[in-house]
Amino acid sequence: MKFNTLLKKLMNKGDSKDIAKKRLKFALLTDKLEIKTDTLGNLQKDLVEVISRYFEIDKESIKIDIQRSEESSALIFNTPIIAAHRQRGIPAA
Amino acid sequence: MDGKVIVVTSGKGGVGKTTISASLGAALAMQGKRVAVVDMDIGLRNLDVVMGLENRIVFNIVDIIKGKCKIKQAAIKDRRIDNLYLIPASQSDDKDTIKPENMIWLTNKLRKEFDVTLLDCPAGIEQGFKNSIAAADEAVVVCTPEVSAVRDADRIIGLLYAQSITPKLIVNRIVPKMVESGDMLSHEDVVEVLSIDLIGLIEMDDRVVVATNTGTPLILQEDSKAGMAMQRIALRLDGHPDLPIENPMIQKSFWKKLGSKFSRKN
Repeated sequence: MKFNTLLKKLMNKGDSKDIAKKRLKFALLTDKLEIKTDTLGNLQKDLVEVISRYFEIDKESIKIDIQRSEESSALIFNTPIIAAHRQRGIPAA
Repeated sequence: MDGKVIVVTSGKGGVGKTTISASLGAALAMQGKRVAVVDMDIGLRNLDVVMGLENRIVFNIVDIIKGKCKIKQAAIKDRRIDNLYLIPASQSDDKDTIKPENMIWLTNKLRKEFDVTLLDCPAGIEQGFKNSIAAADEAVVVCTPEVSAVRDADRIIGLLYAQSITPKLIVNRIVPKMVESGDMLSHEDVVEVLSIDLIGLIEMDDRVVVATNTGTPLILQEDSKAGMAMQRIALRLDGHPDLPIENPMIQKSFWKKLGSKFSRKN
């Protein structure tokens, strides 16, 4: 065993468990960023509902997406506004 | 007072859930508890053979739930260890035969009869897993020091948290020699990745194969390190949570110890 360790050092190989740990951490990270297929659809429906209370939007041209990089991930939501609703500012007649 | 229900689960198959369920059941019974161990793997039962009770099955869990028999008729009493009972799974039914509400009903009955009910959860996160965790108060997650097992354990831990269960971890099949040489994840590595409390460490032990071959309880083998580790886990599960966790180590001779001290200086 000691001989193997020495051999490993001489051949300049790292411990395989360090590789395991690194791979594991990366796998867990990407696993957690994965989203259920219908989650984005449901989110879009809910967002449209909320935003429509304040703005008139083009429901067809909404884009919702998740952008991933190695370090982080971002939720990108893009919608053109057609008009702002004014009902909030109008006092009850 | 009502007994408690503990699920033994892992996500990945083949990491030792069934052996651990059987051994913890036996250990708890020997500590004087009334214990039921339930095989939750409908269609692929195995706890019966591990416990050596396979030729005494008359009724099974599905029969109880369908009202074909009483719990007492289906529960097989272990003749070697007092107060230890097995409720076998059905081998012929579909795994979707049982629903979470059936398990809640069954475990509520078991709580009245037994101090501890251990649920041996099937691998995976499908129906059998859902049934098992729906009824559990506590959970023990088993993993081996491998990337695949730890990853699956992480998923399972997340699903248990979603059920408001805070699980405890068993790291099984540790090979101290490989941990020392850096070729196996140490339990510290596993705990760091999963950030969860340990309840025990079990060393790789050939005795487990022998015990399973013969269907004899592992904890009755006095020279089994894994068996001893299981007994200590059983104590931690029941009333002695602070019992120190022993780190499996290489049995070293004096000269080897001296040698390793010397080589560490390099």
